[in-house]
Amino acid sequence: MNSKKVMIVYRKELLEVLRDKRTLFTTLLLPVILYPLLIVGFNAIMTRQTGILEEQGATVAVQDSVQNAISMKLISGLSQIENFTILPAGANSQELYIAKDIQSIVTIRDSVRADGLKTYHVYIQYDAANERGNLTYTKLSGNIAETQKEILAEELEQSGINPELMNIVDVRKRDTADSQKKMGMLLGMFLPYIMIIMLLTGASVVAADLVAGEKERKTLETLLVAGVGRKEVVIGKYLTIISLGMLNLVVNLFSISFSLRYMLSQSGLDMSGASMPLKAIFILLAAMLPLATLFAAILLSISTFSRNMKEARTYEQPIMMVSMIMAMISFLPAIEMSNLMALIPVVNIALLFKAVMINDYQISHLVITIVSTVILDVLAIWATIRLFNTEGILFRSDDDGGSIKGIKKNKASFFNSYNGLVYYTLALLLLYYLGSYLQKADLGKGLVQTQILIIALPVLLILRFLKLKSNEVLRLKTPKLKEMLIIPFIAIPASIVVAILSQLINVIYPFPEKYLEILGELFKMDLPLWGSFLVVAVAPGICEELLFRGFMLRFFEKYGVKISIVLSGLMFAAFHLDPFRFAPVFLLGMLLAYLTLRSGSIVNAMIHHTMNNGFAVFVMSFAGSKYLQIFLQDGENLKYWVAAPALLILSLAIYYFHKITGENECVE
Amino acid sequence: MEPCQFHPLSLLFVGIKREYMISVSNLVKEFPKKDGSKFFAVDDVSFEARDGEIVCLLGVNGAGKTTTMRILSTVFKPSSGTANIQGWDICKNPEKVRENLGFLSGDTGLYNRLRVHEFIRYFGRLYTMEDKVINSRMEEMAELLDMHDFMDKKIEFLSTGMKQKVSIVRSIIHDPPVMIFDEPTSGLDILTARNIVAFIRSCKERGKCVLFSTHIMREAERLADRVVMIHKGKILADGTLDELRAETNQSDLDDIFVHFVNNFTGEIEVQAHEF
Repeated sequence: MNSKKVMIVYRKELLEVLRDKRTLFTTLLLPVILYPLLIVGFNAIMTRQTGILEEQGATVAVQDSVQNAISMKLISGLSQIENFTILPAGANSQELYIAKDIQSIVTIRDSVRADGLKTYHVYIQYDAANERGNLTYTKLSGNIAETQKEILAEELEQSGINPELMNIVDVRKRDTADSQKKMGMLLGMFLPYIMIIMLLTGASVVAADLVAGEKERKTLETLLVAGVGRKEVVIGKYLTIISLGMLNLVVNLFSISFSLRYMLSQSGLDMSGASMPLKAIFILLAAMLPLATLFAAILLSISTFSRNMKEARTYEQPIMMVSMIMAMISFLPAIEMSNLMALIPVVNIALLFKAVMINDYQISHLVITIVSTVILDVLAIWATIRLFNTEGILFRSDDDGGSIKGIKKNKASFFNSYNGLVYYTLALLLLYYLGSYLQKADLGKGLVQTQILIIALPVLLILRFLKLKSNEVLRLKTPKLKEMLIIPFIAIPASIVVAILSQLINVIYPFPEKYLEILGELFKMDLPLWGSFLVVAVAPGICEELLFRGFMLRFFEKYGVKISIVLSGLMFAAFHLDPFRFAPVFLLGMLLAYLTLRSGSIVNAMIHHTMNNGFAVFVMSFAGSKYLQIFLQDGENLKYWVAAPALLILSLAIYYFHKITGENECVE
Repeated sequence: MEPCQFHPLSLLFVGIKREYMISVSNLVKEFPKKDGSKFFAVDDVSFEARDGEIVCLLGVNGAGKTTTMRILSTVFKPSSGTANIQGWDICKNPEKVRENLGFLSGDTGLYNRLRVHEFIRYFGRLYTMEDKVINSRMEEMAELLDMHDFMDKKIEFLSTGMKQKVSIVRSIIHDPPVMIFDEPTSGLDILTARNIVAFIRSCKERGKCVLFSTHIMREAERLADRVVMIHKGKILADGTLDELRAETNQSDLDDIFVHFVNNFTGEIEVQAHEF
C-alpha cells in the first residue's frame, strides 16, 4: 500500500466534503448554534418563566371552619406571602377553582384527640399537574409550617418551657464529593449518549457520500482506472470518515463545554466552581477514537454495498438505532464497567466515558475496550476492502430481492442472502416472543412446541408453498454407514471440548447466578430420563438442524463453502440469544455445517446435534456416579485434562471423516 | 517502465514488426445469473492494437464492449484469459497497466465540488506525477483545448462541453501511450461529440494506440483503421474496412455488420440442429 496515495485520496476527499454545505451545516454550524441555544437559551427561558410565575402569585380561597386565634394566625400568615391574594371561601369557590380563577382552596378544620389535645387540619387543594399550582402549594405549605413553629414556640413559652427545645436535634450534612466530581457524574450520564450519537451522525453524512455517492454520480469508475489501488482508495476514504466524525465530536464537546461554563456561572449552584477540564476532554476524545474508527469502517462498508446514497442512508438507520439504544446504557444508574461490559462495542465506550468523567476507571477496562474495538474495526475494514474488490457489489444494478410472484416463477431465486436474512430475523422474533410465551406455562412442553412449531414447521411449509422438493433442498438423505459410524467419535469429544471451553469462559467471565439457575431448570424438569432426552436432545437435534443446516445454509451457498460454514455458525450462535454460550455454540454450528456440506447429508448433523445435547443430559443425570466422578470436578464440571484426549480423538475422527467423504462433492 | 519496447533484438525489426500495445487473448468474463447458471458477457475474445492505430470495438448494446473495456482498464478481473497493455499483464501488474492507460467514457462523472485545476491535479498526483510536471501539462492542454476561462471554476458550474474537456484532460494528464474510449460520444450533443472525435484523431497523430467502442456505424467508419465486431460476447470479425468489404462484398458498414451477425446466428442454429 502506498501511503502517499492514501494521503492524496484523503486530502481530496476532505476538501470535497468540507465544501459540501450539508456536511458543514451538520458537523460545524449545528453544534455551534445548538448548545448555546439549548443550554443557555433554555436556562434563560426557565429563569424568566419562574420569575413570571412568582410575579403572577396566586389567589387562594380560605374556608375557616374553626375561627379561633390559631386559625386566624394561620390565615394572617398566608396573607403575608408576596403576590398572594387571600379570599374567604364562598359557595362558588369550587367553580372558580375549576375555571382557574383561583389556584388553591385551603380548608382549616379542628378535632379533639382522645387525650384531649386539640389538633388543626389544613387541607390544601391544588393542581399538581400545573406549574403555578405546584408553586402555590410549595409557598402555602412552607408558610403554614413557619406559622406552626411560631404558634408552638408561643405555647411552649406560656407553659414555661424553653422554646429552643424544638431545636434539640440539629441535623447538618457534609458532602464529600467536590463540585468537580458532581459535575462529572452529571456529564458522565448524558455526555456519552450525545457524543456517540454525534460521532455517528457526523460520520454517516460523509460515509454515504463517499462510495454510494460516487456510484450515483458515476465517478467511481474514473477513480478505479486512475493510478491508485483499491486498498488506498478505501483507506483514504476511511480516514476521511474518521476525521469528520472526530471533527464533529470536537466541535460538539467544545460547544457543550462553553455553554455549560456559561450556564454554571449563571446558576450559582454549588457546582459553580466546576468546569469541564481540558484534560478530561482530551481523554474523552482519545477514548472515542477507536469507536470512530469502528463506525467509520461499518459505515464505509454500508456505503460500498449500497447502490446509491438513498439506499446507504436507509441501511444506516438500523446502525443508528442500535447504537442509540446501546449508548443509553450510560443513563442506567446501577450498571458499571466490568471486563464483560468492556467487550461490548459502544456500551464499553459509554461506560468508560462515564468512569473517566468521575475520574474512577481501571486501565484493564481501557485496554480491553480499545483492543476489542480495534479487532472489530480491522474485521470491518477488511470486509470493506473485500466488498470493494467484489465487482458484483461495486457495480450492482438490478434488484436482489424478489416478489412472491417472481419467486414462484423462478424458484431458485428465493435462496438469496437478502431473503435469508429476512427469514432469519423473522424466526428470531418469533422465537423471542412466541417461544418465551409457550415455555412460560410448561418448560418441557413449551420447548418441544417451540422446536416443532417455530423452528421446523415454517421451513417445511415454505418449501411446500414454493413447490420445492424438501428432501433435495434440506439434504435429507441417508448418509453412508461409514459416515454415521464415525459421527459418535466426533460428537462426544466435540461436546467435551465445547463444554470445557464453556467452563474456561466461565472462569474469565463468570456467568451470573441467575443465568445458571435458568439454565439449570432445563435439566431439572420433572421428566424421566428418556423424556429429558427427547426434549433437550432429540427435538433440537432434528428441528434446529432442519432450519440451520437444511434451510438457512441454502441462502448463502453462493459465497462458497467456507463463508457458508462461518455464517451458519454465527447465525446458530446468535439464535440462542445467550451471550455466554456464544463462542461454544458458534464452534458447534460451524462443525455441524461442515459435516452437512462435506457429506451432503443433514442426517449426520442431526445425529451429531442429538448426541451433543444428549451428552449434557447424561452428565447432569449421572454426575453422582462414581465412574463419572473420575472426569468431574466441583459437581458437574469436567476436569480440564479431559480436553487433551478429546481433542486428539476429535481431530483423528474429523480427519477420517474428511477422507471418507472425499469423493462427495462439497457444494452441489 | 515499458519493458517490451527496448529489447535489443527488436532493433532488428524496427519498421517491420512492432509490438502490440494492446493484446487480448482468449478473454472470458462470466457473471452468475440469478437462477445459478452463468452468463458469458465476454466469451473467448482475442484481438490486438498497435500504436498509431485506431481500433474500433463495434457491437450493439449488450454485446460485451463495456465489459471488455472494463477488464482492460483493470476495473474487472477476467474469469479466464488475459490481456497486455504496453507489455504489462492486466492481472499481474494492474497498477502498471493503469499508469499506461487513459480511459474515457461518455457518461463519466466528475467531482462537482472541486475546481477544474484541483480535479486534474488530483488525478495527476495519483499517477505520482510531480506538481511541476502536472502544472506545465495542464497549462499546455488548457491552451490546446481553450480552457483558460474556466480552470478556476467549480465543476458543478460548467456546461456539458466544458465538462467533457475536463474529462479529456483528466484522461491524458499522465500522457499514457494507450487510450481506451468507451462509447465516448454517447449522450453528448453534436458539437461536443465532434470535439471528442477530433481528440481521438489527435491521439493517433501523436502515435498513441487507441481503442474505442461504439454502436454507431458511422463513427466507426469515420475513425477506425481497423474494426473488431463483437456480438453476444464473441468476436464476429476483425479487419480493416477494406478487408471487411472484400470479405462480404458489401460497401456499407451497416450491411457488413448485419452480414456477420446473420452468419453468426446461422452458425448457432446449425450447431443446435446438429445436436
